[in-house]
Amino acid sequence: MQGPLIETLARQGVTRRTFMKFCATLASAMALPPSAGRAMAEAMAAAPAASKRPSVIWLPFQECTGCTESITRSHSPTLEGLIFDVISLDYQETLMAAAGHQAEEALHAAMAANDGKYLLIVDGSIPLGLDGAYSCIAGKSNLETLKEVAKGAAAIVAMGSCAAYGGLPHANPNPTGAVSVSDIIKDKPIINIPGCPPIPTVITGVLAHFLTFGSLPELDKHGRPKAFYGETIHDRCYRRPFYDQGKFAKTFDDQGARNGWCLFELGCKGPVTYNACATVKWNGGTSWPVESGHGCLGCSEPDFWDAGGFYKALSMPADPLKLAAKAAVVGAAAGVAVSFVNRGKKSAAKSAHETTTLADLEK
Amino acid sequence: MPLDAIPVVAVPPGLRAGELSGNAPALLREIAEMVRRLLSEGETSAIDLQALPLTPADLEWLREQLGEGEIAVTLNADGESSLNETACPGVWWVTHRNPKGAVVSEFLEVAFVPELVKAHQDDVVIGLEHLELLISDLS
Repeated sequence: MQGPLIETLARQGVTRRTFMKFCATLASAMALPPSAGRAMAEAMAAAPAASKRPSVIWLPFQECTGCTESITRSHSPTLEGLIFDVISLDYQETLMAAAGHQAEEALHAAMAANDGKYLLIVDGSIPLGLDGAYSCIAGKSNLETLKEVAKGAAAIVAMGSCAAYGGLPHANPNPTGAVSVSDIIKDKPIINIPGCPPIPTVITGVLAHFLTFGSLPELDKHGRPKAFYGETIHDRCYRRPFYDQGKFAKTFDDQGARNGWCLFELGCKGPVTYNACATVKWNGGTSWPVESGHGCLGCSEPDFWDAGGFYKALSMPADPLKLAAKAAVVGAAAGVAVSFVNRGKKSAAKSAHETTTLADLEK
Repeated sequence: MPLDAIPVVAVPPGLRAGELSGNAPALLREIAEMVRRLLSEGETSAIDLQALPLTPADLEWLREQLGEGEIAVTLNADGESSLNETACPGVWWVTHRNPKGAVVSEFLEVAFVPELVKAHQDDVVIGLEHLELLISDLS
């Protein structure tokens, strides 16, 4: 399998134009300018295909398997599938045929054979409470396993909000003492792909980037690839014009909701959430939460479970300290968030006093 | 109760399939600017139509405005793609479809010839090798 990637693909019946078309579509999905598609195609086509399929080890820790569910539902499998023919997934408990001792043997064989070169994917948080007894595989705590496997990894992909930030297990009061991958591993490049779960295209796009360029894409301050997490949900939202016009749904079945107005006052976290849902959408581009009439939960941001309530408007005056903390967390967006606060404050205060529906939802 | 009896509008007016959002006319100016750049600098460019909040009606309007040109290229690569010249030479409407026929991406490309239509140098080399093989088989 030596030679440029394009030759490897050609042997599998993939022409250059098919590949360029794939890159153009991938760039569009990644919200990159159209010119990026061509640049990507050129760089990827010329990238040397490895003499051996790069080894990928996928460790599931304290998680719900939602991230695996998401990636196995990637909707344009033909070419992404081919890209994935280029890797060797050596350990993935849910997908692998082996079990028990055989599975653990496969893990250790892959680690020994590809020392320093394999890509480690982690989904789920790592519980530190009770010496890690809350989640164990093959008699070892997740903490032990992570440290052992991370040692020989070229890079680590923290898949989903649990691996990236601790996620749901980390939510207050965090009974298992769950932490993220980056809380433990400090000496390896780590890329966070948060989301609960992350969008399949984002997962495959990042992996394709690593496998073709051999490096991690540009990351933001939360360790997320800028290509997908560069803009807020709000900035790309098709309901944004209603926000600008001050037209808000006040409850889930009022006239505003029926008219498809902005969900800001119903607790939408779109303005402070960086993700690609508004453009890439879900289920093969069918729809996404806001299009289904529900505000964004902010699942790709750190500590989204504890961000003050899914149905509380970002500007809710009842809890100004928490909002200030949230605004500080989002850093670059803070200025934007503050202006939202001021503009939305009056109407949000009004609705908080008039409806009991939102308070009910919070219980 | 039939589904259409539920009085919920998921997609707001102005963004419904049959209505113009008002976003399309601005694109004509952008395309004109891109064509000017093509003429003065020879710089090619493209607009990702799926990245913009355009309704089907907007796209229809844009298609009507730009009209149909003389050249329509069909590319068969992992599904059918069409690269059609509009009535404005140098402006191409590019639609990529997957093998099931669904549109996966759509662009307006401003170029003398769209990038995908040109044969790549390396592929031409391979073509020449093939030709030489054919010729050697003749003798």
